[in-house]
Amino acid sequence: MNDRIEAALSELRNQIDARVSSYFSSCVHCGLCAEACHFHVETGDPRYTPIYKLEPMRKLWRQEHTLSGRLGKMLGRSSGPDERDFADWEELVYDSCNLCGRCSMVCPVGIDITYMLRKQREAFYLSGYTPDGMQKALQRTLDIGSPMGVTLKTLKATLAHVEKASGLTIPIDCEGAEYMALFSSMEVVNFPEYIGSVTRIFDAAGLSWTISSEAFEATNAGIQIGSRDGAREIVSRAVNAAEQLGVKYLISPECGHAYTAIRWEGPNLIGRPYKFKVIHILELLEQLQREGRLKLNGKSDTPMTLHDPCQIVRRGGVVDPPRNLLHQVASGFVETTDHGSMNFCCGGGGGVSANERAEELRLRVFGRKKKQFEESGVNTVVTACANCRIVLEEGLEHYEMDTEVIGLTELVAEYLEQGID
Amino acid sequence: MIGNFIDGPLWYFSLGVFLLGVAWRLIAIVRIGVAVDFSEPRNGGSGGALRTLFSRSLPRRPVITRGKVQLVAGYMFHLGLFALLFLAQPHVEFISERITGFGWVTLPHWGFILVSEVAFAGLLLLLLYRLMNPVTRLISDTGDYTASLLVFLVMLSGCLALAQAYEGLRLLHLLLAELLLIYFPFSTLMHAFTFAISRGYTGASMARKGVNA
Amino acid sequence: MCRPASGMVILLVLITLLATFSGSSVSAQTRQEGIQIPNPGADLWREVRKRQQPAAPGVKAPMSGAPGVDLWAEIEQTGRAPVGTTQIKSVDSGMLINAIGDEWRRFRMERLIPYAGYAIAGMFVFVVLFYLIRGRVPIHAGPSDKRLLRYSAYERTIHWFIASIFLFLALTGLTMLLGRSLLIPLLGPEIFSILASASKEGHNLFGPLFLLALALVFFRFVRRNIYQRGDLTWLLRGGGVIGKKHVPSNFFNMGEKSMFWMLVLVGGVTAISGVILVFPVLGQGREIMALSHVAHGITALVMILVIIGHIYIGTIGMEGALEGMTTGYCDLNWAREHHDWWAERCENNGEVVTVEDAHGAEGFAPGAPKRQSIVEAGE
Repeated sequence: MNDRIEAALSELRNQIDARVSSYFSSCVHCGLCAEACHFHVETGDPRYTPIYKLEPMRKLWRQEHTLSGRLGKMLGRSSGPDERDFADWEELVYDSCNLCGRCSMVCPVGIDITYMLRKQREAFYLSGYTPDGMQKALQRTLDIGSPMGVTLKTLKATLAHVEKASGLTIPIDCEGAEYMALFSSMEVVNFPEYIGSVTRIFDAAGLSWTISSEAFEATNAGIQIGSRDGAREIVSRAVNAAEQLGVKYLISPECGHAYTAIRWEGPNLIGRPYKFKVIHILELLEQLQREGRLKLNGKSDTPMTLHDPCQIVRRGGVVDPPRNLLHQVASGFVETTDHGSMNFCCGGGGGVSANERAEELRLRVFGRKKKQFEESGVNTVVTACANCRIVLEEGLEHYEMDTEVIGLTELVAEYLEQGID
Repeated sequence: MIGNFIDGPLWYFSLGVFLLGVAWRLIAIVRIGVAVDFSEPRNGGSGGALRTLFSRSLPRRPVITRGKVQLVAGYMFHLGLFALLFLAQPHVEFISERITGFGWVTLPHWGFILVSEVAFAGLLLLLLYRLMNPVTRLISDTGDYTASLLVFLVMLSGCLALAQAYEGLRLLHLLLAELLLIYFPFSTLMHAFTFAISRGYTGASMARKGVNA
Repeated sequence: MCRPASGMVILLVLITLLATFSGSSVSAQTRQEGIQIPNPGADLWREVRKRQQPAAPGVKAPMSGAPGVDLWAEIEQTGRAPVGTTQIKSVDSGMLINAIGDEWRRFRMERLIPYAGYAIAGMFVFVVLFYLIRGRVPIHAGPSDKRLLRYSAYERTIHWFIASIFLFLALTGLTMLLGRSLLIPLLGPEIFSILASASKEGHNLFGPLFLLALALVFFRFVRRNIYQRGDLTWLLRGGGVIGKKHVPSNFFNMGEKSMFWMLVLVGGVTAISGVILVFPVLGQGREIMALSHVAHGITALVMILVIIGHIYIGTIGMEGALEGMTTGYCDLNWAREHHDWWAERCENNGEVVTVEDAHGAEGFAPGAPKRQSIVEAGE
């Protein structure tokens, strides 16, 4: 056994906490998690059963936390995981799991499978069995500052465009501002409309805000691939910048994994609570709207539905704000059959969209979204995550569907009441 | 001779293994502990833990639409088994005589038979579906089959002894139940206890985030 | 499928062992032989039994002087028992002697038991001879590497559900029916009495489950079992088992459809008569009980005989027949040879899969990775 696998096994060992041990003790292999997983539902392949994706971790748990496992080890009938398992399971762990958490919602004994898969990825990262695309995304974030290679220069160019178009100034490194906004590079590169929208909304609401030249990237490739050190480094940048500027709130952009990273995982990665609060842009918009600071005027009568980004809704807890906001600006809002915390993932979460190898599978599994949208009977899908958005657009194009995808924040900005002055 | 052994020492031994084993397993799990969560919770965790502890007994849509066999057979087996174990007159008498010293309300004989049939149908369907459904066939291991088979044999021997006229049949049922008690703490049967911990952990961590798990 | 059955075998062995070692309270009492306790009822019965032949109708039997015997003679003359009055209000409570009871007893002892024994033994002999003469029906074109999905997981589950219940009921039922003749000489009365009690309790408890299983199977398979054009041809050509030529058929052939309807109709009678027997609280009298028992015995025997044939043809009798009910997938060549209309339809619909895909999809290849493992690639 080589050093990598040694390190990976030791990591896997450390990842087994009371929750994991309780979860494996409770699993009776009923197979119901498979019925919640879009990878299994769409392909029918039993290997895509969520709990089966945890087989390496379960093997180690069995060997070290059960009587039969320990007896087996003593008798030399070791059945612990080895390099082969890492090699064989890489595809199941990275290509066929979006960390979307739908399986965790249906397990009758209450196993949070996603929690364990996230932990298992830590060991896989150390074993070296990780997809190239995700490795590169992490490396780019660590070297350049963003998984897509967006630099401060690129951002400034985008900001200049936004300022020109809106006639507003975007405050940079403004100490003492109340809010600091983060973006995802997907928004900077593909959807600069998002930045324009928040600029206009914040201006209209009179929000004291800034962005930091030190840290503007919110996404965290380290969490997706399972590199704790990488994830800590990335999250520290944003935390340090926010604490240096002395802001009260850090605004997570729409991007789902960014929210999970900065809101729920970040404090644990750096090992202490923040000195500021993290708020998701949709939570903030809803709050401003409630407080009367965000004045909206008119509604779209286009029938539209909502795609709930997993990490914001199911795994993030921002369940109602997107609905409340959408109702404010759209009169034809209909829910899909499975929505809210039971929505189906777009298929690109958990780093799958950065993993070129998984593209064929991802598009195949998108068949589930296709059916969902067709059933809803509308041709406009609103979402609140730049990554979901690009994955949805690719999927819709692949299936030659005539469905438009729009960002919720932009839709809200469109119905912003124009100032009287 | 062998009857006295089954009825006496082996019974106390198996009960001891069961009680100590279950306690040891539960302590071993909780003792590992979980890391402190520094993220700022939206809600307290204990409410969510309590809610999920009960709410997970009800199926969500994917289970209702795609897991009908496990859902229906699962309910039949678990409810039937619970009723026949704790509400059948011979069992209540046994528990009262050997353990608690007091009994409680029991099902009429026809009720006992009815719940047994429901439990048998559920268990058989679950076991067969485990073998036939590609997913469960792939993920099941020897432990799952051993546990199912042992529970089945205990129930079957109990059913064969229903006439309550032959000591041999009663002892057979008792012997198998004792084997089950001994096997219990070291098997997936532990889910009968750990499900509460699992649901609790999940419910609490999701409630912190503001999600009704 | 084999697991509950093997469990049953283990259990029977355990019962035998335990009974041998532990002894039983009831058998201990009955073993006290040599004690003479006056029993007038038994004496009367013995007297009656001595009269082997019933008197011919119309001819008055000579009076014996014993009142019980004369009463019996009168019953045999009129064919029905005198009904008295009693304060007990329940079915048949006014009847002192059940007229058809002896008829029923004679039917069971002199007809049902021996004929059932011969019929079952005969069926086994027939199956063995058939196998020796006809041999295993092969897949003529040889096994292929293509598969068709024949039965879903649910369909296979309910098949083995009804199968395991049927086998259990058949074994326990036959233990009660043939035990006196076959098992007492082998096991002795003490062990047999335990086995008989266990069989009776098991049979009674599992009986209603058969009705449930039958309902599940009926609703799932009824559509595919409605007789269609071509079924008669299949029958006339002996289902291809007698001749050498292929006989076209649909998803189910004529034989399978008939087997299904037999299961539903004959099995339905078995199940319902069983329910009448096991719940004697539904207002049925002794006559109905006796009739139900006759119906139960005959229909169950028919079912057992047919099922022996079904098991034979599904396992050793035909290559490729069992797979559909275990893995869910059947060989394409087998389907072409035995259910060609169905096979053709599947092929036209593009439902043919490779054997690897079939086994992968059924979870039969445990954990085999699809991608070549990196370890191997590197080595």
